[in-house]
Order: sequence, then structure tokens, then C-alpha cells
Amino acid sequence: MSTVLEQIEQQIAKLSSKAVRKNTGVIRTVADGVAKIDGLSDVMYNEMVSFPGGAIGIALNLEQDEVGCVVLGDVSRLKEGDEVQTTGKLLSVPVGKGLLGRVVDALGAPVDGKGPITSSESYPVEKIAPGIVVRKSVSQPLFTGIMAIDSMIPIGRGQRELIIGDRGTGKTTIAIDTIINQAKINKVGLASGDPKFRPVYSIYVAVGQKNSNIVRTIGALEVAGALEYTVIVAAPAADNPANQYLAPYSGAAIGEWFMENGMDALIVYDDLSKHAVAYRQISLILKRPSGREAYPGDVFYLHSRLLERSARLDGKGSLTALPIIETLAGDVSAYIPTNVISITDGQIFLETDLFNQGIRPAVSVGLSVSRVGSSAQIKATKQVGGKLKGELAQFRELAAFAQFGSDLDAKTKSQLDRGSRIVELFKQPAFNPIPIEQQVVTLWAMQKGFYDSLELKQVTAASVSLREFFATRKDAVLAEIRNKAALDKDLEDKIKVGVEEWKASFSA
Amino acid sequence: MPKQDQQLARQLFSLSLVGGTLSTEHVGAVLQYLEKHPPARPIAVLRAYQRLVRAEYAKGQAVIEHAGPIADSLVQSIATTMAGRYGRAVAGVAKANPSLLAGLRVRVGDDVYESSVAQQLAGLSV
Repeated sequence: MSTVLEQIEQQIAKLSSKAVRKNTGVIRTVADGVAKIDGLSDVMYNEMVSFPGGAIGIALNLEQDEVGCVVLGDVSRLKEGDEVQTTGKLLSVPVGKGLLGRVVDALGAPVDGKGPITSSESYPVEKIAPGIVVRKSVSQPLFTGIMAIDSMIPIGRGQRELIIGDRGTGKTTIAIDTIINQAKINKVGLASGDPKFRPVYSIYVAVGQKNSNIVRTIGALEVAGALEYTVIVAAPAADNPANQYLAPYSGAAIGEWFMENGMDALIVYDDLSKHAVAYRQISLILKRPSGREAYPGDVFYLHSRLLERSARLDGKGSLTALPIIETLAGDVSAYIPTNVISITDGQIFLETDLFNQGIRPAVSVGLSVSRVGSSAQIKATKQVGGKLKGELAQFRELAAFAQFGSDLDAKTKSQLDRGSRIVELFKQPAFNPIPIEQQVVTLWAMQKGFYDSLELKQVTAASVSLREFFATRKDAVLAEIRNKAALDKDLEDKIKVGVEEWKASFSA
Repeated sequence: MPKQDQQLARQLFSLSLVGGTLSTEHVGAVLQYLEKHPPARPIAVLRAYQRLVRAEYAKGQAVIEHAGPIADSLVQSIATTMAGRYGRAVAGVAKANPSLLAGLRVRVGDDVYESSVAQQLAGLSV
């Protein structure tokens, strides 16, 4: 009975006669998702405003006589003269583990038809990045499962590594592979019951992409069993530019929750070129002065404030970012690519030529770099792959030189032979990440010349066969590599025995 | 609207104020001046000027919407309270609005103070 009385009391309290103050304005014009509003004299920058019919907007331009707002939602119902109210709130999105396995829009509302999201917390979409004091340097690895990357361009937890390349060079595939690999590692780690194991949760932000591509990505993650560790924030090409502009920040807010709560997260922004285009569109409609390539003056800050939110926090978790940039005809010196290159801690550059030659992932070793990840690389990978980048660079140089003549000395020939074998070894099918311990074994066998006697075309198949052999028959050795994370004499002997066993069966 | 027109409208508006308050005489003088010396885009300038004057005028008025009967003393009391709150002269104007069902809605400039049943019912439905 008392509960019922309390409920009635609460209802009465809600209906109390206290006056509510609202600051209002009137829509003067609505065009292309942007409303110009008279009034709203108390509105703050980035504050949410409420339009009639439940649509919300964000105040982006505070001018002397009017306020420019981007409308998030259906603009078709808005008309001149409609009343707009301030809300006194910043835009927030729901955060937490309840979002894992879900597809949400830029405002955190579910779009996957799986019902409402169970989340009790929300984080502001725009937030100042963590400062200097709370940060810690990157020293823990984040394995992508792609051998070429983990061995030569390693990524650490809390790093921002750009994936850049022309259309159709496999940028998204690298990001998806990385997400799938995190899920695989999570499953093994959580099953092991190791209290020190830190799972990595993923957030995939799709900006301005075709809906069909997003569906394909979700499908790939679902098939690989990675969706349960992933949140997908979708702002497809059909969405209004305001949502496309906000989606990366919403994704960052979702990722920050994991970071702030002592967990590790990975966020993929696919892609920031389209994000910049959406922002340019909004800025031009808001009549902000345009600069180079018609982008507004603060397009650098647009991405720097977003990517700075990825960090490794002292005593807390980390947020690793993999932003994607699409180039035109391989031009990395264009405006947006140079901006993002300068913000990130390295880049993975993908080349169309390599892709067309069948070298996939089409990672250009010469142009790719990881500025902080090497300190996060495990010792075993350093031991077997430390010289790979140099060897491949030498190979590329010699390969270009060798095209001019056939008379090559034995040393050059052997370098070319070795280089082409490394290239073959790094070929890897999509959505098939390789665990780090298997990568170590594969590279160890290459270093010790176990592929030298094989035909070049056989190298890829041989490496797959070697990994299968170890996964099925030498699981204990793989587990030891995984746990020790370094190769000692004893472990190397065990690998040698295993590889020799495999070689005998493979040759036969 | 071109920036020059907006600037001109703002200049004319500042000429219409006397001690921070809108002066009817000055507004009349501005309109006479514009009639004699029309700018390049007179309609645009006049619209911008009208918007500024309307906004300023609204700041000096407390439009009190009410559903039932309202006493003059209450209108006066609200106007006095608002004048104290905004630090300027505010005139009370009563306006019947049956859609409020009961209670009041007071508008001063951009600010709306509402204590009506209609608003509370709308709040419950959210």
C-alpha cells in the first residue's frame, strides 16, 4: 500500500505548480538538414535543442542574430515559424556492455531490430581528450592477426594507426580482420581463466558507407563469431550529413566507456574521408568560410580532437584507433590524408598495384610505419621478424634494379629469392587472421630457410600447411610461445623439431 | 541575406534606441530616412530591421497566456516580477489561450515560463 501511495506522491510532485523556464527560438529557414533559428539567446555551443515532433538538433553556429543548428532526424516535418527550445544538455549516447553485439545509429538508438538497448549510463558525444598526466605510453601489443602488420608495422594498445589507400585495396578488410582477431583472442583468453587477461572490445563506425557494405561487414563479423564483442555505429550514405558527422564521436564515447572502466577497446573509423566530406557539407550550408578544397578552417581540429580521445590511461584501460582514409590515385599528399597522417602514430599504406598483383593484404612496406607500436611488440616477433622490413626494402630496391639486366651476382640473386619468398609468405586471405604464435612459427621457419627448397608458388600453401600442422599436432609449443612471448633455446629446439616433422610430411 | 544589409539593419536599430530602450520617435525617424534614402535592397534591410525591433519589443513585454479568467492585479504583479528579473521596464499583456487547460504561460523575449496543465500533461506523456 505504501508503495502505491509513494507513486501517487511522486506523480503529484511531477504535477507541482512550479513554473518551468525555457529558452525558445523560432525557425527562420530549414535547408539540407540545417535550421537557422531566431532567438535561442541562451543557447550554448554544441547544446542539444528540441524541435517540434521530437527531432533534436545541435547548435553549431552561434551568430549575432541567429543560431545555426544541424537537425538529427526527420527535417521534412519542420517548417518556418516552428518553436525550438534549448534543453541545457550536451548530446549523449548510451554506453556500456549492453551495446556489444548491437548495431546503433549516431545517437545510440538501435537499428538492428533486436529490441531496446539495456544501458544505464550515457556519455557525452563531444568530450575533451585525456590530458598528459593521466596518459601512459603504449607498451602492450594489439595483434591484428595480419602477419605483414604484426611483424613489421606493429600496433599497440592506445595507438592511432591510420589505414590509408585507394578504393578497393582492402582497407576495411584489414580493420575487420583485426576485429575478428580480437574476438578470437578474447575467446581463448577468457576460456583460459587467466585473471590477468584483458579482452579487447571493438567498435566499428561506418560513416557514409553503402548499406549493403555495412550488411556485408556485419555478416562477416557474425560468421566469425566476433559480433558479440563488437558495437557497430552506422551512419550510412543514406543518413543525413549531421548523423555522419556525429557518428565517429558517438563511437569514441562508446569506446571511452571501456577505457575509463579499465578495459581495452579498439575503434575503427571507416572512413574519415567521408566524415570530412559530411562536415564540409554542413559547414558550407552553415555558410562558414571555406578554405582549401572547400573544407572549413577547422577540418584539422575535426579529426585531431576525435583521434586524441584514443589513449592508454594510467591505471585504467585503453582505446586504440584505426582510422581509415581513402585516397584518390594513391595521392597521400591531399589535404585530408596529410592531416590525418600527421595526427596518427603511423600508417598502413595499401597500394592498388600490389593488390592487382595478387599481393594481399596489399601493404606497402616502404610507405607504412608504426611510430610507437614497436615498443609494444612481443619479443618473439622481434626475434623472428626484426630484420624483415629491411630485407623487404632491399628486395624492392634490387627488384627494380634487376629489371635492367640479367647478369646478377649470387648474393643479389639470393636476396631477390628471399625477398620474393617473404612476399609470398605474407599473402593472407581476407577474414582469416593468424594467431601471433602461429605467425612466430611461420616466420621462424622462413628465417631458418625451411621454404628455400620449395618452388616460389608453393610458399603460401606451405606456410598454411605448417600452421595447420602446428595447430593440430603441436598445440603445446604454440601455447608455450603464447605464454612466454619470447623464444629461448629450448623453445626454438621444440619449434625446430616440429618444423622438421612438418617438412618431412609436406615434402612427401 | 547579404552581410551589408544585416550590418545596415543593425546600425539603424542602434539608432532606434535611446538609453538602451526602443524609442517610437526614433523608429519613425529611421523609417522616414529609409524612405528618402532607400538602400540597394530596401525590403531585405527593412525585414532585418523589423526582426531586430520585434525581438527588442518582445523583451519589454510579458505576454501572459491564460486559460481561465485572470485578475489585473496578477498581470501587474507578474510584470513587476519580470521587470525586477530582467532589470528593465516590462509591460504585462494578458492573452487568452484555452489550449493551456489551466495555469499560465509567460513569455518575455526568448524566455518562456510555463506552469500550465497542458505542459504537465505533455511532460507525463514523454
